[in-house]
Amino acid sequence: MSTAVKEDREILHELLNNAGVIIIYLDINGNIIFCNKKTDEITGLSHRNIIGADWLKTLYRGNSNIIKQDMFKAVMDECMRHKREKDFEGLILDSDNNERIISWNLTPVLAENKEVRASILIGQDVTKIREAGNSAKNIDQTLKDILFGLKEYALYVTNLEGNITYFGMGSETMLGWNKKEIVFKHAGMLHNNKEAENNLNFILEQVKSSGKYEKETALLTKSGDPVAVILTVNKFLDSDGKHSGYIFIARDITEIKKLEYQAFQAEKLAALGLLSAGIAHEINNPLLVISGRSTLLAKEQLSQKIKDDLALINEQAERIQKMVDRILKFSQKTKIAFEAVDVNEAIDFILPFAQYGNLPNVKVEIKKYFAKDLAPARGDLHQLQEVFLNLIINAYQSMPEGGVITITTNSFENTHAIIQIKDTGTGIAPEHLKDVFMPFYSTKNEGKGLGLSICYNIIKNHNGSIELDSQIGRGSAFTIKLPFI
Amino acid sequence: MLYKVLVVDDEAPVRDLLNDLLRREDCKVCICGSGEEALKILQEDVFDVVLLDIKLPGISGLEVLKNIRDTNKNLPVIMITGFGYNEDLINRSKEFGCSGYIGKNMPVAQIITTFKQFAKCAKSGE
Repeated sequence: MSTAVKEDREILHELLNNAGVIIIYLDINGNIIFCNKKTDEITGLSHRNIIGADWLKTLYRGNSNIIKQDMFKAVMDECMRHKREKDFEGLILDSDNNERIISWNLTPVLAENKEVRASILIGQDVTKIREAGNSAKNIDQTLKDILFGLKEYALYVTNLEGNITYFGMGSETMLGWNKKEIVFKHAGMLHNNKEAENNLNFILEQVKSSGKYEKETALLTKSGDPVAVILTVNKFLDSDGKHSGYIFIARDITEIKKLEYQAFQAEKLAALGLLSAGIAHEINNPLLVISGRSTLLAKEQLSQKIKDDLALINEQAERIQKMVDRILKFSQKTKIAFEAVDVNEAIDFILPFAQYGNLPNVKVEIKKYFAKDLAPARGDLHQLQEVFLNLIINAYQSMPEGGVITITTNSFENTHAIIQIKDTGTGIAPEHLKDVFMPFYSTKNEGKGLGLSICYNIIKNHNGSIELDSQIGRGSAFTIKLPFI
Repeated sequence: MLYKVLVVDDEAPVRDLLNDLLRREDCKVCICGSGEEALKILQEDVFDVVLLDIKLPGISGLEVLKNIRDTNKNLPVIMITGFGYNEDLINRSKEFGCSGYIGKNMPVAQIITTFKQFAKCAKSGE
């Protein structure tokens, strides 16, 4: 052998054995004629055991790989039949019995007569690359799962003109629109454009000029109801970094607003409690004097007429005293305490307060049908009084021309007290019935829309239920069930 | 004479009324308009019962009660107040050792009856 040929062989040998890829030379039957060091390394098989063995049975050994063997045999047959190279991936077991992902290239070797006489199998270990890719895919999927799981967030994207190009994350849930029906529509429909700073054009201008818009505001759902959100809008940049649209992220803060309002109400009530105590004190002193002096005068030698007048003065003073006492008791918020509550008495107590809101020229008749000897319900007296007051005031307000409020109490299956407050007012449209207990729902111009949602929460906390039955033009009936103590 | 009573109330019409009402019940009544005045009077004279308003200018009725109790555990002191039935005030009054609590929002006849009941209980407990 000439030196040149010898050197070439040595170079070729070095090349094959130092290559970082598996190189296998197969005969026409798929038996391994040659394999390089990398093959030994990755498979952990002895070189002697590899040479001459069927490559499929060697690399895809084990019964579990029978299917793989058939698959790759089919690949090989196709490669040989069509005399063209084939790329494919497969898993093999390495020396530690771990799976490795190998990216194979199978190339047929043609003889002079163009028939396949052998094939070369080159395999690159892409295990690490694939794992990193899966990891990224997993992270991406996890992120998507997290984002989709955050029910209080909505994300949508518009183009520069404000037309929606992407409606994702919690947008459908929060806003009620199906993405198919809203994509390409103008995002202005999600905003209350009557409010200057909520107007979509204002928002887009702000983002254009300052780069960002972030504000507590409200978006409109498909049914036109507002959802309290913190809205953040940023520029959407394309892959070239060019400003091509806007990305909107809205966080639903309805629950937060509800809690804030409740806290505010609690503070207001606490302040009212203090104020009421002060006012009561200022009223009780002069009332005592009026009542006391008229009582003493009545004991003097006076005409019957004067005595009758004095008795009337005393009676009226006592009437004021009782009302002041009621207001004081109602406004003093004590800690929530569950006790035995006589619902009939609780309703009777707050009924006068509800009547104060009624205009003198509007005739509203109250009909009470209270169950006798109704067992006490388990509840916090003040909270239940608040619920009854709220519902009765609502009943009054639904009857601006006057009407009848019917209040009924009864026992339900000997387990619950059932209270119904019914009016003959305007009623509520059927499409709104499901929303009446939602925060911020209101049909009243001046209403904040939290009264009924607070009532709902109070009754739920009492392990009770509250339902509404209403018909337009016929009135509404709220039915509350509270467990007996 | 039923009782010798010290009436402490900053409102003149109220203390005059209480004066007249108690005198009709055969009580001997001394009236004053502040806690400081009441404590001074109590140092110089002996009373069977004190009828003490809670809200006073200067030191409050509760502080007056505390002062009285520091030197005299047995003197019946009945609190009277325009704040009506107030749990917090009742509890604090009891804590400082009052013998009774009357709300000015009660009917007049009930105020007198309640006063007499508290005074009788306190005196019999001596």
